[in-house]
Amino acid sequence: MIKKNATIITNNTLVCDKYDDKFSLLYIEDSLIEVLKVTRDKIHEGHKLLTHPLSGSVKPNETLYKTVIVSNEKGKLDMESLLIIESAIETAEKFMSMKQPPNWKDEVLADFREIDCTLIDSAVESMKNY
Amino acid sequence: MRLELGKIFINDVQFGNTTKVENGVLFINKDEMIQEIGGDEHIKSIEIELAHPGEEVRITPVKDVIEPRVKVEGPGGIFPGILSKVDTVGTGRTHALKNVAVVTAGKIVGFQEGIIDMTGPGADYTPFSKLHNVVVIADPIDGLKQYDHEAAVRMIGFKAAAYLGKIAKDIQPDEVKVYETEPLLESVKKYPDLPKIGYVYMLQTQGLLHDTYVYGVDAKKIVPTLLYPTEIMDGAIISGNCVSACDKNPTYIHLNNGIIEDLYEKHGKEINFVGVIITNENVYLADKERSSNWTAKLCKYLGLDGVIVSQEGFGNPDTDLIMNCKKIENEGIKTVIVTDEYAGRDGASQSLADADVKADAVVTNGNANETIVLPPMKRLIGTTKYVDVIAGGFDGSLRPDGSIEVEIQAITGATNETGYVTLSAKGF
Repeated sequence: MIKKNATIITNNTLVCDKYDDKFSLLYIEDSLIEVLKVTRDKIHEGHKLLTHPLSGSVKPNETLYKTVIVSNEKGKLDMESLLIIESAIETAEKFMSMKQPPNWKDEVLADFREIDCTLIDSAVESMKNY
Repeated sequence: MRLELGKIFINDVQFGNTTKVENGVLFINKDEMIQEIGGDEHIKSIEIELAHPGEEVRITPVKDVIEPRVKVEGPGGIFPGILSKVDTVGTGRTHALKNVAVVTAGKIVGFQEGIIDMTGPGADYTPFSKLHNVVVIADPIDGLKQYDHEAAVRMIGFKAAAYLGKIAKDIQPDEVKVYETEPLLESVKKYPDLPKIGYVYMLQTQGLLHDTYVYGVDAKKIVPTLLYPTEIMDGAIISGNCVSACDKNPTYIHLNNGIIEDLYEKHGKEINFVGVIITNENVYLADKERSSNWTAKLCKYLGLDGVIVSQEGFGNPDTDLIMNCKKIENEGIKTVIVTDEYAGRDGASQSLADADVKADAVVTNGNANETIVLPPMKRLIGTTKYVDVIAGGFDGSLRPDGSIEVEIQAITGATNETGYVTLSAKGF
């Protein structure tokens, strides 16, 4: 079992169910942008960003789901993490200002959850080697 | 490594009793083709339709576009590690059916994208409207998981391209183009005064519907490595990337990469094009660090003077692009990055999700947020059931008359980041 040395920040219940016993979990019952903003808060607290917040080519005004992983360990503010998350928030807000996500059917929402989950699976797979 | 690429120009595609090429016309025995490419337990049925340039046809949602090719001489076969054994390809002779493509279409997930209009304003935005398209629609069994569905459709596309490609084996090509890359030390000796130029080819590698394979290996798992450009022309790199229609690299683009083509044009004259470094675009940030470190290390090790870097996709890969650019520049090597933009509908917003002062030479392939109205078409291959919720569409974007208002990101290949586009500055 992987030591809980990282926190998953997500609004995707599929990810919660899958990684509950392997990671610290911060479930955000809110929008994609809120997940990014909570991630930014964690970075300001000194946690490091471990995965890219704009994972996937599905646009931030298309999918409703986002999962990001940050370190549990805290240190000095990591500027690189901060730059990436700030740019991601700026990009996501740009997309949202152009168009809000449509009113998706449950079936489509399930597809988005699945894709978000596989994107984070690929990162978890890489993390196993550290 | 030396490859002769024999091009057989096709002026028309029709269904017929025998699959053959006669007087520039490709005839396809539809039943035989379905028989040959079928058999996957995940697929209920396969349908094949034809779409020609200028016809009032809309193909959507498009998954992949593949050029039919066949290995005629030299080791290995087309799509090594996928359809053929893992012999190193890129040597000898390969034949390609030009002006023809296999297009895989159909619903894998509920949100959709990828439009090819064969005529009208949308056709101007996609290079694939100029081809005779053999569209393969594979209908999945009920309850099939997205992963298995994508894999099945992907394989059927390659089998279809190989089925058509194999008839090119015994045809005398209309044109033969020779591409040659010598081993590094030999080429440096041969062209001592020419600048050594490399191409850093970034591949989409993030997960379901976002994958690329190199000799059959999931490219998420590779570390940056070197390929001869001709290996790519034989299908060493294939697409499993179905998202972001405008700026993904369908397999057709990998086979016909415009940057490789242009670098070869100048090879031995203005530059010494020494080869391709492939690298990935993973979700895990440490993977990005490692891959960009290795990419820069390889550029330095090869003694390159200049590098072209192309990216694939939106958001996450912008970070890899900038990391690659910055680290290669820090080795004292000049870079030009090739990308597209999501700069808002008016083009005034920040284009990429990352930036650096070292990224001072950029080629753009267009703004994917630009909008367009696609008029109704007489025939539809696939479905527009999902166009209301297509990437870059709006609520109500599918109008009652069948026209669609979308951002050009919905059009397959519209802002392709290898420059295989119609939206481009071809000079300066």
